[in-house]
Amino acid sequence: MFGTPQEQSLRHQSFHQRRRGILGNTLEARKKRLGLVFALPAFLFFGAFYLYPLFQTFYVSLFSWGLLDDPKFLGMTNYSRLFTDKEFINSVWVSFLYSFGVVIPIWFIALGLALIFNRTFPGRQAYLTVYYIPAVISLTVWSLIWLLMYNPTFGIFSVAARALGITGLRMLDDPSTAMPAMIILSIWKGTPVYMVIFIAGLRAIPNDYYEAAQIDGANAAQCLLYITLPLLRPVFLYVMVISIIEAFKVFTPMYILTNGGPGSATRVLSMFIFQNGFQYLKMGYASAASVIFLLILLALAIIQFRLLRFQQND
Amino acid sequence: MPRSMARLFMVVLGQIALLAGAILIMTPVLYMVSASFMTNDEIFSTRFQILPSNLNWGNYIEVFARFNFMRYLSNSVFVTGAIVFLNLLFSPMIGYSLAKFDYPGKNILMLFILATVMVPFTAILIPLFLIVRGLGWVNTYQGLIVPFAMSAFGVFLMRQFIISVPDDYLDAARIDGAGEFRIYFQIVLPLIQPALITLAIIVFVASWDEFLWVLVATAGDTLRTLPIGLAKFREQYQTRFELMMAGSVIAAAPMVVVFLALQRRFLQGMAGLSGLK
Repeated sequence: MFGTPQEQSLRHQSFHQRRRGILGNTLEARKKRLGLVFALPAFLFFGAFYLYPLFQTFYVSLFSWGLLDDPKFLGMTNYSRLFTDKEFINSVWVSFLYSFGVVIPIWFIALGLALIFNRTFPGRQAYLTVYYIPAVISLTVWSLIWLLMYNPTFGIFSVAARALGITGLRMLDDPSTAMPAMIILSIWKGTPVYMVIFIAGLRAIPNDYYEAAQIDGANAAQCLLYITLPLLRPVFLYVMVISIIEAFKVFTPMYILTNGGPGSATRVLSMFIFQNGFQYLKMGYASAASVIFLLILLALAIIQFRLLRFQQND
Repeated sequence: MPRSMARLFMVVLGQIALLAGAILIMTPVLYMVSASFMTNDEIFSTRFQILPSNLNWGNYIEVFARFNFMRYLSNSVFVTGAIVFLNLLFSPMIGYSLAKFDYPGKNILMLFILATVMVPFTAILIPLFLIVRGLGWVNTYQGLIVPFAMSAFGVFLMRQFIISVPDDYLDAARIDGAGEFRIYFQIVLPLIQPALITLAIIVFVASWDEFLWVLVATAGDTLRTLPIGLAKFREQYQTRFELMMAGSVIAAAPMVVVFLALQRRFLQGMAGLSGLK
């Protein structure tokens, strides 16, 4: 060993620190241990209720399993069956139809309302409160209300149609109107949350930009086009990703209003998975559908990230 | 003068538009309240009726008498309360760990938690059910509560807030000889109190409305929460819309009350979902 005793002891210490990592008695090691102690519940929880299930979904999808019998290994058969299952293909299509039917109008309406609420006017807070109310009504309750509103006898839509001379409008019983019916109630309920997110995004844009633009003689439309919208891009990305995931998850309104029908017109993927898993007890088949579901959302998220990052760079 | 007239005209026009929008948006909610007081005949009358001819409080009494409404209500309160409590207990702890400590595995944990935000619940519904079934937790309170004891979003919200707590505060306390748990409970938690309220609101909103999991993880009547109770009620009494609406009013009320009471914080919390301030 070289060096003075002090240097030696320092070297010794750092050697021990490195070797013993989180086991030493230094402040650093103590803090590491402590961090782990605080994080331990997270490791256990997310491991048990997220990570493990993710693997389990894939694993179970390789079997034929009716929950009460013994699982039978099938390999990828469940997947090849899925891709030839008309009901499944239909579910994917219906999910896309529903999701984009809901989220695209929501983006525009929510942004429009946010631009209005970003100004000051008399009664702003009161209006904001009222406009937000649908978001705090339980989705189950919301669906039940619309069950009444879509009722062919006394529901507001059928009554209005009769007033216009159209008789026999049955929103939920006709395959061509059942999906629009689901989409309308979902837009109505979903818009306020994204409106509030857009408002927060608008608030975060510094006023200096607008002041500078005004000095340069920019009008309101130019401000919107060249300041507001570009700076809102990260918020857009967030809203797009989250709203699409939320829309693909939809289950409650279909369960209450149509049970996936008429025919399969509103049988979204969640409904398909629920019915196969818990009504027909096809655990393996439903798991395979879950894996595809996950992959679809992953692909959509990647596309969105690419799309918006690409725009940011150009 | 004409210019200010034009401005006044715009303001009035704007107010009319906003008011019309408000009425339109509130129509379903008002219809629910109105229908909850109607008789069955009034609801079914083809002559569209907006208001009940008189307030039928009997519907509300019948809802409680006719089905296990009290049970669903107390289940909802208990399950939601427990989930909110567990989230308040764990999320700040993990957020603290992610914000202020460094240890092996931290980045992986963080990435993983972030990734779970993107995992839709439906995609892990079946394995989650299998796990809960394996634990013997189907149709138990713990089966309804434990899978929601933490949320990725809650953990991240807490991390974002705790990162802004200055390290100096914590180090000063350490130098003064405060234990780490004391630092956490007496310095960190009080400093992030507003964030805790936000977290409580967000978790409350999500769990009060949980549907699919309760549907899957309960059997029979005893553990059903309000949403499932109402859905089952609808299956059983297809045409008793007035009772359905009375039950709906009761189920919707707690969240509306919390919203109206904590409006500003509530909206901030919902906007905070985007990680923005």
